[in-house]
Amino acid sequence: MLHIDNLVKTFDGERRKRARSNGKEEAAATKIFAVNDVSFEVGEGELFTLLGPSGCGKTTTLRAIAGLEKPDAGHIAVGERVLFSSKPGEKTVNVPANSRGLGMVFQSYAIWPHMTVFNNVAFPLQVMKRGERPAKREISERVMRVLETMELGSYANRQATKLSGGQQQRLALARAIVIEPTLLLLDEPLSNLDAKLRESLRYELKRLQRELGITSVYVTHDQIEALALSTKIAVMSDGNVVQLGRPREIYQNPNNKFVAEFIGTSNFISGVVSAHRGEQYTVETNDGRLLLDSAADMPGGTEVVVSVRPESMELYEESRPDLPNEWRGSVLTRAFLGDSVDHVIGVGKHELRVRCNPSISIAPGSDVYVRMPPENLSLVPVN
Amino acid sequence: MTTASPALGQETVAEPARWRRWLPTPKMLILGMVGLAIGYLALVPLYYLLWGTFFDGNGVTFGGFERAYGHSQILPLIGNSLWFAIGAAVLSLVVGTSLAYLNVRTDVPFKALFFAASIVPLIIPGILYTISWIFLASPDIGLINRLIEPVFGSGAIDIFTIWGMVWVEGLHLSPIVFLLMVAAFRSMDPSLEESALMSGATRWQVFRKVTVPLTRPAIVASILIMVVRSLESFEVPALLGLQNGIYVFTSRIYFVLRSYPPDFGAAGALAVGLLVLALIGVAMANIVGKSGKNFQTVTGKGFRPRPMELGKWRPVMGVAIVLYFILTVIAPLVVLLYTSLLKFYTAPSWDVFKTMTLDNYRELAGMSKAMTALQNSLALGLGSATLVMAFMAIAAWIVVRSRIRGRHLLDQLAFVPLVIPGLVLGLALSFVYLRSPIPIYGTLFILLIAYVTRYMPYGMRYAVISMHQISNELEESAQVSGASWWQTFRRVLLPLLAPGLLAGWVYILVVSFRELSSSILLYSPGNEVLSILIFEQFEDGEFTVLSALGVVMVLTLILLVSIAYKLGAKVGLNRN
Amino acid sequence: MNRLKLSLAVACTAALVAACGGGPPTSGNSGGAGGADKADYSQWLDLTGEQREEALVKAAEEEGQLSLYTSLSSKIIDELIDSFEETYDVTLEVYRASGEAVLQRVLQENAAGYGGADVVETNAGEMQALGNEGVLQPYQGEALDNVPDDGKFEGWTATRFNVFAPSWNTKAIGKGEQPKTWEDLADPKYKGKLALEVGDFDWYMALHDYWLAEGKSQDEVDKLFTTMAANGKKVKGHSVMAELTSSGQFGVAASNYTYIVEELKAKGAPVELEPLVAPAIVRPNGLGLMKTAQHPAAALLFKDWMLGDGQKVLAELNMTPSTDLEGALGDTERIALDVEKVVKENEKWSKAYEELLAGSDEVK
Repeated sequence: MLHIDNLVKTFDGERRKRARSNGKEEAAATKIFAVNDVSFEVGEGELFTLLGPSGCGKTTTLRAIAGLEKPDAGHIAVGERVLFSSKPGEKTVNVPANSRGLGMVFQSYAIWPHMTVFNNVAFPLQVMKRGERPAKREISERVMRVLETMELGSYANRQATKLSGGQQQRLALARAIVIEPTLLLLDEPLSNLDAKLRESLRYELKRLQRELGITSVYVTHDQIEALALSTKIAVMSDGNVVQLGRPREIYQNPNNKFVAEFIGTSNFISGVVSAHRGEQYTVETNDGRLLLDSAADMPGGTEVVVSVRPESMELYEESRPDLPNEWRGSVLTRAFLGDSVDHVIGVGKHELRVRCNPSISIAPGSDVYVRMPPENLSLVPVN
Repeated sequence: MTTASPALGQETVAEPARWRRWLPTPKMLILGMVGLAIGYLALVPLYYLLWGTFFDGNGVTFGGFERAYGHSQILPLIGNSLWFAIGAAVLSLVVGTSLAYLNVRTDVPFKALFFAASIVPLIIPGILYTISWIFLASPDIGLINRLIEPVFGSGAIDIFTIWGMVWVEGLHLSPIVFLLMVAAFRSMDPSLEESALMSGATRWQVFRKVTVPLTRPAIVASILIMVVRSLESFEVPALLGLQNGIYVFTSRIYFVLRSYPPDFGAAGALAVGLLVLALIGVAMANIVGKSGKNFQTVTGKGFRPRPMELGKWRPVMGVAIVLYFILTVIAPLVVLLYTSLLKFYTAPSWDVFKTMTLDNYRELAGMSKAMTALQNSLALGLGSATLVMAFMAIAAWIVVRSRIRGRHLLDQLAFVPLVIPGLVLGLALSFVYLRSPIPIYGTLFILLIAYVTRYMPYGMRYAVISMHQISNELEESAQVSGASWWQTFRRVLLPLLAPGLLAGWVYILVVSFRELSSSILLYSPGNEVLSILIFEQFEDGEFTVLSALGVVMVLTLILLVSIAYKLGAKVGLNRN
Repeated sequence: MNRLKLSLAVACTAALVAACGGGPPTSGNSGGAGGADKADYSQWLDLTGEQREEALVKAAEEEGQLSLYTSLSSKIIDELIDSFEETYDVTLEVYRASGEAVLQRVLQENAAGYGGADVVETNAGEMQALGNEGVLQPYQGEALDNVPDDGKFEGWTATRFNVFAPSWNTKAIGKGEQPKTWEDLADPKYKGKLALEVGDFDWYMALHDYWLAEGKSQDEVDKLFTTMAANGKKVKGHSVMAELTSSGQFGVAASNYTYIVEELKAKGAPVELEPLVAPAIVRPNGLGLMKTAQHPAAALLFKDWMLGDGQKVLAELNMTPSTDLEGALGDTERIALDVEKVVKENEKWSKAYEELLAGSDEVK
């Protein structure tokens, strides 16, 4: 559906400065790669997420798809239609943003404050070319239908700025989908909302996306949002896609430390591979031996990091020597989080965060046993 | 004794507390002072004007109105005035807004030229700008006419028409619009436009349906100021209009003030007419501003202004800008420079180039008053620009943000000086300070007061527009963070207002260099300013020396303005 | 918020009160010296010859400075200052502005009892107005003997004359084509080439009265002026008029000051005014002593000097000194402006002239 190939976008780093002695301009400014050779595909009906910290190039990629940013090189196509193409030796294709027929929701919503709710949504239909523009009545019907879907029907004649944050967000979405775009672009649409509203809208968004079947590209820095919504996630860092996969894959098997760190919280234990048989690895660490399963191919002696999620660990007050990967430690602190209790356990030099069922709460200072089931450990190569 | 002492102690503690309740908070003190200052500055000349208009030796009179408006030429005069004012306002609005939009919101080439093209016409004194246009486009001696003569025949362009007047005045005023609109565009979230673009709108639709409505307060303010400024303008109607008998309001004010005793009644009546027009305008601007709390485009939701790519239009725009630059800056400046090298103006020819000399600059350098005047003008310009913008930033807060009753009165008051003829202002100030125990008559301070009064309306517009665009939340969030009102103002609002305030500051700095009508009455020996010098050279018919002076002034101000923007860029004002 | 409201209200009221400190003078009633002390000139006025000069120089140099308000051009003033300060140890401080501004400022200061000016030098109309307001000290001295009668006025004395005469661009107007009489200005050959100055109603009055006195009927005179106005372009300011004449924008300037034209001519500009059209219309510019002078001796000394050695300085600068009209005009007939009439009928003539110029469109 959406094909991105070898997308490159650079910005001028430092602004050009004049050399004082001869008055001539210095040749070139340093270039910063905002997007560095990014490729991915989004299938029909998918909700594809670009996830990463700010400055990783995810928004630039999205804006390049939208046509708001002109890439330096690469290829962007929706279905058969080429939106952008710039390859050495070929004629550059660059469809302007207003002819791409995409829908977009901005981080700041970009609701036009001088229009009513109705007019905000009607705008994309009203500015269509004469031949394609629906009749006034049809516009009105379509706008009202979308507004109803968004539960904004009763606000149609209100000034757009009189809406609450959540309503503005839904209005922005309504405006983006009223033309039934082939592709919907969402730039951190939930980041300006409070936590509770964010959660409810997250599900709302997912439901809508599924119901309408709109292929979407979603940009966010919030890993929970990404995990909850996406059919596929591309984790970006410094202009590169570092891992691409289904949410579960990415969460459970981060293929590098950045992803593991960025997606949720992880405990990292460094060590050296001592032996492996097929997918069964043994890793020696300062505080003990760990057995784990991994599809990676690493010879003995490789330095590695073992990553384990707090919620994938178990905590016992009694030892269970029959089970593998049990370490002895003591509780340093604990924190009640409502739906869970986090314990920080000191094991040797390591501090491991273990998330437990709220019914379990162990006082600091107590000796405990931490168990890490082999299937929950992932092996992350040290770069 | 033992029982009395704690009681006494309590009282000494309670006393200051009760006292403090009546002690104004710093906020009130500041607001009060600013309100007081504006009221004082505006009301003194207003009172003087109204007194002179409605009272004569015998009591209330409306004779002034009769003498002012009961004139056979009054109807064509009003027609000409409005035609000229509205024409110039529209032209400057179109030019200034387009330049500002291209500069701020697109990747148009030659951005450096913009700076010059949009500021320099403001810097060239009106007398010189108008005269250079006579030399360029007079049907008899105009250089442009001579250039195009082979194609269009002789005298194809006639600057001595209402169109010529509109052209020169409009170009001369366009920098004001440019500065106002640049500030407005800078503080607008570009995603508002991008979302329209994503909706499939063409660039023109985006501009018309989103950009323009969103910058409406700035546009309305621009129109208002431009119309009043053009109604007030003197040089252009005097030099271009009179020749073919095109009379406007100011020519009329000139005639009634020229006679002795000066007919303040009639001049006042004309000024009151202008005042009424202007107040209606301010009220309208306020209504427009109010209908939108929704025009707060600076929302604190961070945005990165990215220039829009013009694509294939980029070269076209580039050519247009170069042409505009040549027409409005290079051509008049070249005429100025050329004239400054002559003994008397002659149309260019080889013989003339041989006689060129630097005598005029030498004469300027030898003028004992020139350095003093330059220093005084600098001090006054910097002082009045800073004072006005500082005061107006606070006044704008009162008008836009506070709920103090009568705050709109403050807005109106700040606008009053715009319509008070400079001569009347000069008279009013000398009247007051000749009798005031504060010994500032005959010093530079009385000029400072005059300048601050005259430029208050502009400062107020620049500040109010910027204030309208800043979301309440930003201020509220600062207050919630525990900041006092003053801290909020200084640390949050001022930095956000800075682009608008800087624009106003630059404007006032530049125009203060040519303030003449009130300076002429108020300066004293030793306190000469540049505009007085210009006036002297003008009266003496020393056009060539005057041109040299103009060249020096333009260079000085370009330097100053560049420094201001460099400093501004350092504190992050120029975001692109 | 209530307190804020209060403080604003207080602010406005205070401003009002400050402004209301006293009513400004309405037009016409601003006369009379205010509270400033009258200067005592009497000890010197009756003196003559060297005795007078010695006494004055001694007193003036003790005073050390002199404040002059004038509408003279800066170039001329600079020369006068140099020459005066070379002769006497007195510093001249000069306020320079247009005639109207000088008048307004003197009246304002006088009404407030502020002794700003010691001597005032400006155009006849303004000087006469000051004389009528009674702020000027009557002058006596031998220097008056050289001044013609039409240069002596109540409280002030003419130091120089501005001479109104037609001038023309020598490139635009061929030899022999130039105006030879005032009536020539109404010649249709100057249509679109003639320039009239919008403030010269006094010139208009003088020429108007001269023609009537010459025996023309009112109709004839009016016809001449309307044709002239129809021929003409309007311009504000004599310097602009001269500059635009020299640049070729105008062919003929109806009523420029001769000294402005002479100046340009001296620089080599293609302008000419000779042979001078007769009669030359002369308007005195004069000097008056302020009753409230802070430096009366210096003021008196300056006036003596201006009517004596100062006249030479003026002559060198192409001006027309009042003590030597013949030297400047030769035997050209001259008519002097009726200064008293200009002041009294100011409004009438300025309005008539304005309407004459404004109406020129319709004739066209």
